[in-house]
Amino acid sequence: MSETTTDTATDAAKTPPVTATTGATGLRRILRMLWADKLAFMAMLFLLVVLLGALFGPMSLEEMTTKTNLRARNAPPFDLSRGFFYILGGDALGRPLLARIIVASQNTMVIAAGAVLGSLTVGATLGLIAGYAGRWTGEVIMRLADVIMSFPSLLLAVIVLYMLEPSIGNLVLVLAITRIPIYLRTTRAEVLEVRERMFVQAAKVMGASNRRIIFKHILPVILPTLLTIATLDFAFVMLAESALSFLGIGIQAPEVTWGLMVSQGRQYLTNAWWLAFWPGLAIILTTMSLNLLSSWMRVALNPTQRWRLEIGGNKNG
Amino acid sequence: MKKMLGKRALSSFVSLMVLIVLVFFLSRLTGDPAALYLPVDASEAMRENFREIHGLNDPVLVQFGRYLSDLIHLDFGDSLRKARPAIEVVLEAFVWTLQLAVITMALVTVAAIIVGSIAAFKVGRPFDRFASVLSLIGASAPDFWIAIVGIVLFSVTFGWLPTSGTGSVWHWILPISVLFIRPFGLILQVVRGSMINALGAPYVKTARAKGVKNRPVIFVHTLRNAMLPVITVIGDQAAALLNGAVVVETIFGFPGVGKLMIDSILQRDFNVILAAIMVTAIAIFIMNILIDIAYALLDPRIRA
Amino acid sequence: MKQSTLLAGVLLATSALSPAFAQEANVTIVLGEEPDLVEPCMATRSNIGRIVLGNISETLTELDVRGDEGLKPRLAESWEMVDDTTWRFHLREGVTFSDGTAFDAADVKHSFERAGSDQITCEISRYYEGIDITPSVVDDLTIDFKTDPAQPILPLLLSLLTIVPSETPIEFTREPVGTGPYVLSDWQPGQSITLERREDYWGEQPAVTKATYAFRSDPSVRAAMVATGEADIAPSISAIDATTDMDMAYPNSETTYLRVDSSMAPLNDIRVRKALNLAIDRNAFIGTILAEGTQVATAINVPTTLGWNPDTKAWDYDVDAAKALLEEAKADGVPVDTEILLVGRTGNFPGATETYEAIQSMLSEAGFNVRLQMVEVAEHEQYYSKPYVQDQPVLVGAQHDNSRGDPVFSMYFKYHSDGRQSGIDDSHADELIEKATAATGEEREALWSELFGYLHDDVVADVLLFHMVGHARVGEAVDFTPTIATNSQLQLAEIGVK
Repeated sequence: MSETTTDTATDAAKTPPVTATTGATGLRRILRMLWADKLAFMAMLFLLVVLLGALFGPMSLEEMTTKTNLRARNAPPFDLSRGFFYILGGDALGRPLLARIIVASQNTMVIAAGAVLGSLTVGATLGLIAGYAGRWTGEVIMRLADVIMSFPSLLLAVIVLYMLEPSIGNLVLVLAITRIPIYLRTTRAEVLEVRERMFVQAAKVMGASNRRIIFKHILPVILPTLLTIATLDFAFVMLAESALSFLGIGIQAPEVTWGLMVSQGRQYLTNAWWLAFWPGLAIILTTMSLNLLSSWMRVALNPTQRWRLEIGGNKNG
Repeated sequence: MKKMLGKRALSSFVSLMVLIVLVFFLSRLTGDPAALYLPVDASEAMRENFREIHGLNDPVLVQFGRYLSDLIHLDFGDSLRKARPAIEVVLEAFVWTLQLAVITMALVTVAAIIVGSIAAFKVGRPFDRFASVLSLIGASAPDFWIAIVGIVLFSVTFGWLPTSGTGSVWHWILPISVLFIRPFGLILQVVRGSMINALGAPYVKTARAKGVKNRPVIFVHTLRNAMLPVITVIGDQAAALLNGAVVVETIFGFPGVGKLMIDSILQRDFNVILAAIMVTAIAIFIMNILIDIAYALLDPRIRA
Repeated sequence: MKQSTLLAGVLLATSALSPAFAQEANVTIVLGEEPDLVEPCMATRSNIGRIVLGNISETLTELDVRGDEGLKPRLAESWEMVDDTTWRFHLREGVTFSDGTAFDAADVKHSFERAGSDQITCEISRYYEGIDITPSVVDDLTIDFKTDPAQPILPLLLSLLTIVPSETPIEFTREPVGTGPYVLSDWQPGQSITLERREDYWGEQPAVTKATYAFRSDPSVRAAMVATGEADIAPSISAIDATTDMDMAYPNSETTYLRVDSSMAPLNDIRVRKALNLAIDRNAFIGTILAEGTQVATAINVPTTLGWNPDTKAWDYDVDAAKALLEEAKADGVPVDTEILLVGRTGNFPGATETYEAIQSMLSEAGFNVRLQMVEVAEHEQYYSKPYVQDQPVLVGAQHDNSRGDPVFSMYFKYHSDGRQSGIDDSHADELIEKATAATGEEREALWSELFGYLHDDVVADVLLFHMVGHARVGEAVDFTPTIATNSQLQLAEIGVK
């Protein structure tokens, strides 16, 4: 099972990559392909908004989201009398939900991005080694992946958070470790296949160094696959973080993430639905945007499929 | 095939041993079970006594040696809290998890293949868009949120289904529905993508160009070729379910291995944690073998 | 076996749905957590006690939690002090265990020795720590307890000792045998526990014939089960869900407080501790984050406890006074700017996280530098019990439950300098605790009263917060009123069937 690749892997790997077009023309081309897929375009816009919120939100709204105001406790949404940030209502301590969602986006994004980047880097590196180095090293690394896969992530969370301390950094560590095998296995499977291909063999014969082969020939082929998986994983990590909060071993107050907000708000579902609904909606919209973007990327990064978008783009443009 | 099986068994065994060693030592670093088991106002003498009875006072290496030698005799030790063999506790819970996983995955597989294939035949049409977006929304929502909304809606408001627990067939509907959503969204996407690829393959194009109108024939042939990546994803998702659906089991009071696991971890019931890990690891190993066999059946090249 | 559970489930479902079956008097009770054991000697643990106490197993004496009769006879008919150190108990005649054997003094002796044995870890033995107690059988229905030193509240302590037959082995059992009106008839781990009424019970037959316990960790699911008729009683639901006329609030004998480790600067300064108390607007919590009916606490024990002091006044909410005290302390060189860690336990009580977040915000308002950290139970224990964390001043948010009527079950542990969760080291407090523990009658009451006042006003030992209320949801088919002890015991005999 570990020897196979996902569909994204197979279709992206069919042909060697075209050398990336550089500069403004490249960007414009990407934008045009994005415009061709309206859903992906909207997803991109939404993600940009989230990104801006995550970057600048905490700076400007921190004050508002830490001060409790029991008079505005569970204030209903769509009421502007308390100010714009109460448009989504107030939480159990009377803090404006909209402001809290914006502030929480930073932690949420840092955790998800940190975990994904961490597992992607480590997993891909190990996968490259496993696929390229000798049989023994490869075997050891693969068994390591098996061990990580069957290590219960909840136990890992309890161990790390108990021995170190519950903090965002350590949560990123936990989530990153649990996601390593995905990238490791995919990378290795791809490397095994790619290195037998003609152009790699040719490079070898011509005496290229291992490093050169890996960075110039192998990495570019497998990168699209890894990126697609990473976008999907981003969503997965957000949900996993939320589930950990629900079970009481993830991020805890006064830190705030969307997942924590949903899990804290769930007890009010029957009488103040907005507490869990808005942060839940933020998670859904973000994961959906990422998924849409990922399926757009699958096409856009695949030279044999790209024409669909380009033609579509021309038609629309 | 036999040789491959042997090799697989050996390497899985090695992984399992490494896993046991890691869990055994790491979990013992996370606090004193005596302090958790006994009330906060228990005296130090009582704690000492508890540790003595359960052999927690010995050096960790001695404890590990004892654990291994018991394990050889298939003795997984007793639960620290329940005064019964850990393996009994785990197997009891595992039977429930296994049923839940098998039923859910069977439904997911059938539904995802049907809907995914139709979507692939109608790429870009309303059905395709609709199915993709809807399944994505479902797969993007936190499952505890869906579960509680489900209870409020279908049990309390409409009174159609029991809220939670086990007993009748009706009790299974809500937990399975909640578990269904995420793997369905994911597998649907893979089926769709894989089918689109397969439909683009030269021989299918030729067949279509030649005017083969027989959709079922095209469907069956394409599906067969599209199945490999689908099986991989099904395997991953099934493995996740076999590890226990912690959140769903917790909310619905379902006596599965996920709930047992989180309880045992929070209470530091080491023997139960270890036994649960071993049982699920073995189950996943068996499942992986079944998946390999499925590969071999679908793709003759692998058989060779 | 599979089939029988299925059948039982179907029966259960139909009986819960159709009123025609109501005469059978089956009730379903949904609890938050399944007990690991149904072991009589562990009955002081609430999740076990709620099933065992007074249902499967009985005790010699029993505290009246519904009226004010104080200690009542149960398996003992009467008791007296023979001399300063000896208590004599006269046992009830004609009582049988559910295995058919007769109840006599040898069973009491065995039960006591079993509970204190070092081969098993029975929880209740902690209440006999430091006292030498020797039971001796006088005749079949009389037993003496010789104590060293004198133990004035031994009859109260024995209200915790569940009686098992003398044949019971000294190891944890999963098939408890007792003298109570019910017997454990079925246990499906992870799903349900069933008790059935015994026909040969010595006392009055209770109305409920069969009780099934179900376990759901989510409070809103428990509430939903009663709402849909799947269960009859949910003794503990969230205040947020308690909005229907099936729901009732009851004081549950839990007290929340912030334990202050007063050995660390700046918390070793009494002005700082006073400022902590003044900075928290306790009344703002009631009816908002915490349920209506929650009381502001002036002692770690609830007002119905012996010696509770009505003269101690709760702290006013006065930020300015708190700031002034901090300024004063700062001028004297007290490091009031040091970061203080506030540790709370997730899910400790409904609204725990919000409560601690609000407290943190209030303390910050008054000028404290407080960092909040919510932790799971094992980590909380690390902070709560000695040895304490030494690298920074810590406030530990905790909850203490004493429904047994006497402060002795709290004071030593929480305030004596040797107590495992004590934050103070005060010789006068130690002396008062020791004296009160040995005293009887009015003297005892007066000493406890003095201690309560001393701790609150003079030592300012901690930040007492609230006496909590619980919420129960009771279905239409049954009659049940929760009491202050419902957290730790739930006698099926107290349930009426309509």
